[in-house]
Amino acid sequence: MALYRREESVPLPPSNAEAYNTVCQYCTVGCGYKVYVWPDGLAGGLKAGDNAFGVDFSSPQPPIVGFSYTESMHSTIRKRDGGTYHVAIVPAHDSPINPMGNHSSRGAVNAKTTWSDSRPTQARLHYPLLRVGTEFNAIPWDAAIELQARVIKGVADKYGADELCSKIYDHGGGGGGMENTYGTGRLLFTGLQMKHVGIHNRPGYSSETWGTRDRGVHELNYCYDDARLADTIMLWGSNAYETATVFFVAHMMPNLQGATKDEKKAHYANGEAIAPARMVIVDPRISATVNVARETGAKVLHLRPNLGTDYMLMNAVARAVWEKKYYNKDFLNQHTDMTSFEDYKKKSLELHMPYKDFMARAQKISGVPVAQIEQAAAWIAQPKPGGHWRRSLILYEKGVIWNYRQYDAVAAIAQIGALTFNIGRPGTGTGRVGGHQEGYARPDYPGPKPPPDVDKYVQDGRGKTFWLTGCNPYLAAQNNAYFRKRVGERAQALTDYLSAQKQGDGEPVSMEHLAARILEGLDKTNGLFVTVQNIYMVESTRDAHLILPAAQWGEAENISLNCGDRLMRLDDRFMDPPGDAKPDWEIHGLVGQKLEALYKADGKADIAKRFAGMDWKHGADVVRSIQDDLYAGMNTKVPASRASTLDPESFKGVDYGYLRKVGQKGIQTPVRIDPNTGELVGTKRLYSTFYFMTKDGKFSWYGTRPWDDHASATVVAGYLKSDRTKYPFWFTMGRSQPLWQSSYHMRHLPEKTETTPLPFVQINPADVKKLGVSDGDIVMIHNDQGNETFAVYETDAVPAGTVFALMYHWLGTSNSLTSPYTDPMSTNPWYKGTRVGIRKLSGGFESVLATTSFRPTNNFA
Amino acid sequence: MKVSRRTFIRTSAVAGAVATPMLATADMVMTDGKPWPSVKVGNVNQLSAGMPVSFQYPDATSPAWLLKLAEPAYQGAGSSGDIVAFSGICTHMGCPVAFKDGRFVCPCHLSMFDPARNGVPYQGLASDYLPQIELRIDSAGDIHAERMSGLIWGRTSDAA
Ligand code: SF4
Ligand code: FES
Repeated sequence: MALYRREESVPLPPSNAEAYNTVCQYCTVGCGYKVYVWPDGLAGGLKAGDNAFGVDFSSPQPPIVGFSYTESMHSTIRKRDGGTYHVAIVPAHDSPINPMGNHSSRGAVNAKTTWSDSRPTQARLHYPLLRVGTEFNAIPWDAAIELQARVIKGVADKYGADELCSKIYDHGGGGGGMENTYGTGRLLFTGLQMKHVGIHNRPGYSSETWGTRDRGVHELNYCYDDARLADTIMLWGSNAYETATVFFVAHMMPNLQGATKDEKKAHYANGEAIAPARMVIVDPRISATVNVARETGAKVLHLRPNLGTDYMLMNAVARAVWEKKYYNKDFLNQHTDMTSFEDYKKKSLELHMPYKDFMARAQKISGVPVAQIEQAAAWIAQPKPGGHWRRSLILYEKGVIWNYRQYDAVAAIAQIGALTFNIGRPGTGTGRVGGHQEGYARPDYPGPKPPPDVDKYVQDGRGKTFWLTGCNPYLAAQNNAYFRKRVGERAQALTDYLSAQKQGDGEPVSMEHLAARILEGLDKTNGLFVTVQNIYMVESTRDAHLILPAAQWGEAENISLNCGDRLMRLDDRFMDPPGDAKPDWEIHGLVGQKLEALYKADGKADIAKRFAGMDWKHGADVVRSIQDDLYAGMNTKVPASRASTLDPESFKGVDYGYLRKVGQKGIQTPVRIDPNTGELVGTKRLYSTFYFMTKDGKFSWYGTRPWDDHASATVVAGYLKSDRTKYPFWFTMGRSQPLWQSSYHMRHLPEKTETTPLPFVQINPADVKKLGVSDGDIVMIHNDQGNETFAVYETDAVPAGTVFALMYHWLGTSNSLTSPYTDPMSTNPWYKGTRVGIRKLSGGFESVLATTSFRPTNNFA
Repeated sequence: MKVSRRTFIRTSAVAGAVATPMLATADMVMTDGKPWPSVKVGNVNQLSAGMPVSFQYPDATSPAWLLKLAEPAYQGAGSSGDIVAFSGICTHMGCPVAFKDGRFVCPCHLSMFDPARNGVPYQGLASDYLPQIELRIDSAGDIHAERMSGLIWGRTSDAA
């Protein structure tokens, strides 16, 4: 018997099965998928003409070029007509992103994460739920919407919009997309004018990448072809094999193996040398990516900085580039701002300091030898024989974004890109790998830049309502133990107030009365009214008062982009949501309509007006609102040379009809109108004429803040200064291959839970010995902020003295340990570094030891 | 092997889809209704740790590996519970997996499967566990492959 229920066959979709186009709901790569739905009791035949795939299955498929249709790609669903249907969700074979139907272990389970009443996804939220004391009662939508609107209005009218707080996703892919970011943003920003809004994975309404945007370079500027054409690929703080899997294996790996030679020939200048790509990886861990790159036989350079020192290391790479004169003087003079360049030279390159001294200091701070820093500089910037400029694709992700002084780190890597002339040319680019897909179309955020820290605001007892949409801050907020306690305590204060009636008083019956009592409670206590809008009963619902069930990917149309190509496609709707769940745009739209009605009834037409036009019936209506509201004044009839001046994620003129027509081919944003043909055209690569997103089109430089030994992260600095024996380990965290995000879906699939039954921590063999632990043992990791238990994985991936924990798991979050530090330039946290102590609690769970693999995930030899 | 498994009745692979001809009914029956073949694949005395033996199961187009591991395995046969057998085809995109250093590695995109843990894809692009083959060892020490658990990549049925 297998560890989970296996199938020895999968039914083929009959030729007349409903067929849909979609994009994987998970990572940034955005692999194309096809969905087939057909009624139970029917099945297609093995002959190509007898099944909807059009594939002959009468003999086994050949490897790689064959058609993948595995156990996890099939499932059954139930529709609102009560019928059971089969659903097959298979990689598309006409998608430029995932050639030949490539896919990862996450995308392969798309079918298993659809809702069904007979599988674990039965746990999906079906109806709005209202807390009554310690219980939740189902209530109809109109009651839920009325309550939410009345409480929000009561708070806004009496205390002002500053007391309304929210955390909400800003992404595409599963659960996200343009329709939802717009629909929700229209209510929060245009309607309620809230500034206490934080994004799903961070405390404020910040960009993760102001450091590059303020330079005039949007973080998504390259395309996947560039990974095929580059001489060198640099991955800084990105474990791409595990987190952007198909991008890595289908586009980077062929280049590392020399298989893209012919594509290079077509793009390179005459006489320009062609070779398999080299790879520079900057990561404290010997990640799976490092060793997979090595397995390809490519030349790999691996730099392992001390935690939190990356911006210093980046500036040292830049200083080496300057010293060796690897820069393009003409490009700098013509396309970058030479006034701010002086500031950069002074503060970031510190040219007043002798080269040797500067580099020796960089080595001391970062722990990376000078020789490696210089080699990295040469690999990304040294001109090729014959004076051809090297083509390097410089990519970064959360190791840079969630770093100490993240603004400076993102700025520093963007500036490496400009200094080394690695933006805008085929085979180059300096940008993010991406985490999830994008899908951002929102009215402007009404708050300041940098924005307020909403998590701290709420923890400090401010704010009266907290609306958590499509996010799970009980796992994802920094300094999580404290966050959970404070939010829980304030929510409980309101719950207690509502429960404090005398015997015989009963409960308020109408929503109007209940709202009045909640408002009374918010006035008399330090309570917080918590609303959670989600697809599951996630951790953050624990203290909630109102729960609103949302529809997910496949249950409503959804437009998203992948990060690497900005390739926009439509995710079709192929099934009904569970119960009465609704898309987020509709829920926020209904609250908006109710507020409009309530303000009208109050005779406040001016306020009511702000909520007008949210009566969308269909995703297509929302897309029309996006066009009218955000793009009306935008002139997109511009030549290709000015494409970079357009909002990089904008799509003026694109609707569902257009996207249905282009299918998997999609269109790359920004979308413009060709002045000659009048046709809609996409943009392959940004900045191809080196015209950047600044007033004068020139790249704008930034002089970094001086190094201060992590002093502005006071908690961490305190650990470093005090007795190091108390918290002897550096602690960092990140994702693993099989799990997606907070595992909201994966935690329900045995294929995934058997693989990672517990939160885990990677510990170096030397430290394992010192601690007297072994694989599977349960350790308590602790510091002054909180503690959390983890199962031990012994591995050489982490250096001695540093441990790495899985970021989120349903049985524990690494964020319980993170400090409250945010970069004052951006309000973004330093999730990736703090100090901890480790204490062994016990040996491992017997059941876990018997069924879980503890083999090293970074050793392929 | 354990008797309880033989008596365990599997429900159909797809709830209610009895009209579909390829669906399983009982444990020892393939999805086409025929019994799983019992194939002699080796003898315990011929096996040594780290030396995989190749065979085909359930038919000639399906390569498989018989292994003796250096540790007790989930559903392992033999007195030490360290004898296992698996489909030799990667569940990602069908490349032949190689047994190296106690685990299977796929050369194509480097998925890795742990044969001591039911073939879990503990790293890589594969999502489905490598199908494990049930073994029976008779009194003479002969090893018989008796049933496959999980779908072999590239087919719609193990029985095809
Ligand atoms: S690589 Fe990303 S987008 Fe592609 S299948 Fe995997 S999770 Fe989905
Ligand atoms: S075919 Fe085995 S990992 Fe892709």
